[in-house]
Amino acid sequence: MLGDLGTASLTAGLISASLTVPLWLRVALLGRSARQARVATGVTLLAAALACAVLETALLRHDFSVRFVAENGGRHVSGYDTVTSLWSALDGSLLLWLLVLCGYAALLARRRHPPRLHAYAMAVVGVVTTFFFALSALAANPFRSVHPAPVDGPGPNPLLQQHPAMGVHPPLLYLGYLGLVVPFALALAAPLAGPEGRDWLRIARPWTLAAWSALTAGIAMGAWWSYAVLGWGGYWAWDPVENASLMPWLTATAFLHTMLSGALRRARWNSVLACASFLLVLLGTFLTRSGAVASVHAFTESPLGPLLLGLVLLAVLASTLLAGRRDPLPPAPGRTPLLSRATAVLVNGVLLVTIAAVVLIGTVLPLLTEPLTGARSSVGPGYYHRTAVPLAIVVLLLAGVAPAVRRAGDRAAARQLVLPAVAGSVTAAAVGLLSRPGVPALVAFGAAAFTLTGLAGQLGSLLRRRRGARTVRLAALLAHAGLALVALGVAGSSAYGRAQERTVRTGEVVRVSDVSVRLLAVERSAGNGRMAVQARLALTGDGAEHSVAPRLWYDTARDTAVTVPWIATGLRRDTYVTLLSVAADGSTATVRLAVNPLVGVLWCGAALIVGGGLLGFATSVRRIRRRTPPSAPAAPPAAVQVTA
Amino acid sequence: MSWRRLLGALVVAALVAAAVAGLLRSSAPARDADPVRTVTQGLRCPACQGESVADSQSPIAAAMREAVAEQLAQGRSPAEIRRWFVERYGDDVLADPPARGLSLLLWAVPALALLGAGAAAVRTLRPSRHRRPVAAAAGRARGGTAAQRVWWVSCAGVMVLVAAVALAADRLDDAQPQGRPADPVAVTLQLARDLERDQRYDAAAELYREALRDRPDDGVQLRLAFALLRAGDAAGAERTVREVLARSPDSPDGLLVLGLAQRSTRPGDAPETLRRFLAVAPRHPAAPEIRRLLGA
Repeated sequence: MLGDLGTASLTAGLISASLTVPLWLRVALLGRSARQARVATGVTLLAAALACAVLETALLRHDFSVRFVAENGGRHVSGYDTVTSLWSALDGSLLLWLLVLCGYAALLARRRHPPRLHAYAMAVVGVVTTFFFALSALAANPFRSVHPAPVDGPGPNPLLQQHPAMGVHPPLLYLGYLGLVVPFALALAAPLAGPEGRDWLRIARPWTLAAWSALTAGIAMGAWWSYAVLGWGGYWAWDPVENASLMPWLTATAFLHTMLSGALRRARWNSVLACASFLLVLLGTFLTRSGAVASVHAFTESPLGPLLLGLVLLAVLASTLLAGRRDPLPPAPGRTPLLSRATAVLVNGVLLVTIAAVVLIGTVLPLLTEPLTGARSSVGPGYYHRTAVPLAIVVLLLAGVAPAVRRAGDRAAARQLVLPAVAGSVTAAAVGLLSRPGVPALVAFGAAAFTLTGLAGQLGSLLRRRRGARTVRLAALLAHAGLALVALGVAGSSAYGRAQERTVRTGEVVRVSDVSVRLLAVERSAGNGRMAVQARLALTGDGAEHSVAPRLWYDTARDTAVTVPWIATGLRRDTYVTLLSVAADGSTATVRLAVNPLVGVLWCGAALIVGGGLLGFATSVRRIRRRTPPSAPAAPPAAVQVTA
Repeated sequence: MSWRRLLGALVVAALVAAAVAGLLRSSAPARDADPVRTVTQGLRCPACQGESVADSQSPIAAAMREAVAEQLAQGRSPAEIRRWFVERYGDDVLADPPARGLSLLLWAVPALALLGAGAAAVRTLRPSRHRRPVAAAAGRARGGTAAQRVWWVSCAGVMVLVAAVALAADRLDDAQPQGRPADPVAVTLQLARDLERDQRYDAAAELYREALRDRPDDGVQLRLAFALLRAGDAAGAERTVREVLARSPDSPDGLLVLGLAQRSTRPGDAPETLRRFLAVAPRHPAAPEIRRLLGA
């Protein structure tokens, strides 16, 4: 019953989504009214929402005749985990994907932008929506019925039931990924829409900022989940799925910067980066949903691969044809000073694109080698440490140069950089002479000090400005400071992290620098579809002693063991205790004790970046509101410079 | 004024020198660096996803760590140890693929991206001397017959898209899933055999158990029994081999291991089991040795 309703809503969504494309094209090509097109877009959203609601209901009611519930539901699963299990497997997550995509489409449909540009962009979004609805309804329908219906299910992947971040991490990532469809659609629509098309960057800015903020938060949340659940003490493993989320983030970051620079407004950089961001989203979807790559977070093998690859190719073709067209307007003549915003933005763009290329080839190469040479190969963190990390440090330095390039003239700008440079070298000298963090970490410390000093110097002049200009700069400042803090956190935790792993009897001690844990007891429990072992340990450190209890549990239905580390978070350092294994008779336990410095700084930095992005989003929305009177014809581009 | 400048320059120079000194000091290998860790970080754990041997908790990784430590103790260089692992398990065991063949793409693609984007950046920054005429392509008239035709074509395009997905989905329903993950069991077995050759039967038995958990197989179970026997755990060996014999009572290897195990657990039953073994497989490579044992 629920299954039929779900299938019906998917079919209705497919029909209305495929109707939106001709309806919006009618607006764009034939100048008809946009009313029906808006209605069709709204109906598509309703269909997606209904499909999600039906599957949630089926999950909560334990209706095991629905295939997805039979595969991912379970009576022993808690309410929260049951709700989030909608996106714990491929077919259900596709419904959430559709809901977010249709939500963006409906929001964009309601805007009053220049009509032709708007309609063409909506048609592009419509094609993407149609494809994913077709995928969900025809190839990965979660509502197919199961005969006979089982009495219970295995529950979602136990790794996904461990952390509250799982409830927000995938929705945030989807908000980020799919928000990038708007700049993509606008970039494709711009060359089709004629003179109206020149306005696309201004319209795309708030969407891109919103999507980028959500994507940043999603990536950070994923890193946090990995840190708190996977139990190996790290937050980033250069895993294919992590890489898939990083690639669009890199190009979207570059896009956010190139779209700012007035001199670049007519260059092709913007449209190429906007298209590349969404293409990388699609490519990431292909990588993670086709079973092509093996990863902790990848969904299991599925037959969707060829279809998704087809969409990627189609999108590449469309963007090359449209965004690759010659720009009708030549770039503004005139010499740009060396230390100008245009240069900084371009160097930043070049670097971020190169990092994206590094991550892309590192992720894709293992897929290519096996069919071509027959040998398996893998690309480990070492490759990224040699390539992406140095480039990222240069990007960080560039963020430190950013406040200076606003000044007119190379000399004034260079003078402003003296103090940050001094701070950077003092830091590098002090850290390098007092400890041995290794060259990359040391350079990262110096670069972070350089950037933070420059930004702090900017803060003073910022507060004297009038409000409007202040918020824009404050947004950039927050994001850049956040980046520096992330660099500090990454460098600190990778250079000074210490860990010790030992098999201990009751009463014995594992020690790392001044922190130690003593095993008090091993406790076992069973029930609720899982067997759990818990080690009670006394943790001594910072002059205090308290009790900690890392756990290890084994999910019988999925045959998976999950370690639940015990983490004491502090700004200066985290203490991270993991129970790795327990002897059969319970007499000994293998315990890993790690001290991870500055991980808290990393999360603070990520929060600052997201905060900066949201502030920028709020400002750009206000600007659009202020500058476009409702239903007025498009303002000429010169009057709508968003550049601050 | 000039004094102040000189002082400033001196301070900056001193700072830069100190920073460089810090860098140099940092680039020297730390005294407390663990050589085993350095080597194992460059090896990929075959049983896990994306973890190095240094970080992985799996038994294979533990055995590989031990192997590295042993070889380092024997005075082999890290490069030799890496080669040893590559010979045994292929390039796949290295965390970073060697720079040859397709792996060169790892460096070529980013280099091309850097060059291409850099060239585009330079072109964007350079003041353009000749102004291209403003293209007239922009702003086709709305509502003409051409626009009508484009509209019909796009409608057909959407239909084709949906139809293509439908057709492909129909085909895919019975297609085989592709892209099998690496076979960690094979690597486990190889490693266990290596351990046996080094007469480290306890560790080998542990790995055989690990392999059995992933893939129940009589051959592996017999090897486990044999490793247990050689490790001195005759009772464990007997238990293990009886499970195999319960499934195939006439397995010659099973009878052989059982008989040998019984020599220490139940010496009275051993000769009969071994005689059965000789009856089932008179040409087994171990048969002459058993005849000698029985005769003695």
